[in-house]
Amino acid sequence: MTTLYFLDAAEFTDVSAVAAAQPGARVERLPGYVAVTSDGPLTVDRRATGVRHSVWYSALAAVGHGRVVQYDKDALKVEPAQ
Amino acid sequence: MTSPTVQAREQEAARAGASSHPVRGINHMAFPTFDPAGTIHFYGDVLGLPLVQTMQVKAWGPEYQRDFVHFFFDIGNADCLAFFYYFGQEPYRDKNLPPLLDLGKHVALHVDTLEDLDGFAKRIEDAGLTLDMRVMHETVESIYVRDPNGILIEIARPLRELTEADAVDAEITAQALLDIVASDVEPTLDALWTRKAELIASAVPA
Repeated sequence: MTTLYFLDAAEFTDVSAVAAAQPGARVERLPGYVAVTSDGPLTVDRRATGVRHSVWYSALAAVGHGRVVQYDKDALKVEPAQ
Repeated sequence: MTSPTVQAREQEAARAGASSHPVRGINHMAFPTFDPAGTIHFYGDVLGLPLVQTMQVKAWGPEYQRDFVHFFFDIGNADCLAFFYYFGQEPYRDKNLPPLLDLGKHVALHVDTLEDLDGFAKRIEDAGLTLDMRVMHETVESIYVRDPNGILIEIARPLRELTEADAVDAEITAQALLDIVASDVEPTLDALWTRKAELIASAVPA
């Protein structure tokens, strides 16, 4: 079970929303963060978020029980930790 | 996480409409210059920052000290950007500084509005200088220009107010960084993300 944490700030709303829209994703609002959890891999398409590069590359605040396998101009992909 | 003591102090300070610490901005930041004419033109004429204090000083103290002129430009809030011109000092510039470390060392001046930022961009370009970059960062929009001393000057305007979430995240990020640099694991962004998640999860009631 992998959890992606995004800072609960206006500039990251579109990123957490695209992450939360992935099949099987569950969303929880914590104090200061939006947590998106999935039993499987989570992929966020950068273009779907519409955010600028400076926001995209600082959007990921924390990763629980997961491994970032891709974080580039195309996508953020996190797989469950082995 | 913010310690209860710090949190209580900050809450008390916020109620009182005051800061939780006694620092009131930058008194001055100082740099050596080998080009006083260019420096005075850049800050005084191009940026329009008033020259508010100078001192001419006979060398005293350590033997390497030289006679010098120290001059101060107002950068708002009674803060100053200051320069030393040392008579007889050979110019020096570190040509071996890696680009990443060069970019990491800069001065960011604050303006309140887009109009202010555009105004400075125009002043700089009208003076025949080139803006290095104009960037929409996460919470500020910035323009960058090199001063005659090679110092990277950023001028930034806020895109939003900082919030309690920013302050909490700053505490958690700093703690995670302290934890990973003190641990046996290689300090990486992946390690930081992982440690931050542990700290966030432990702060949330089950």
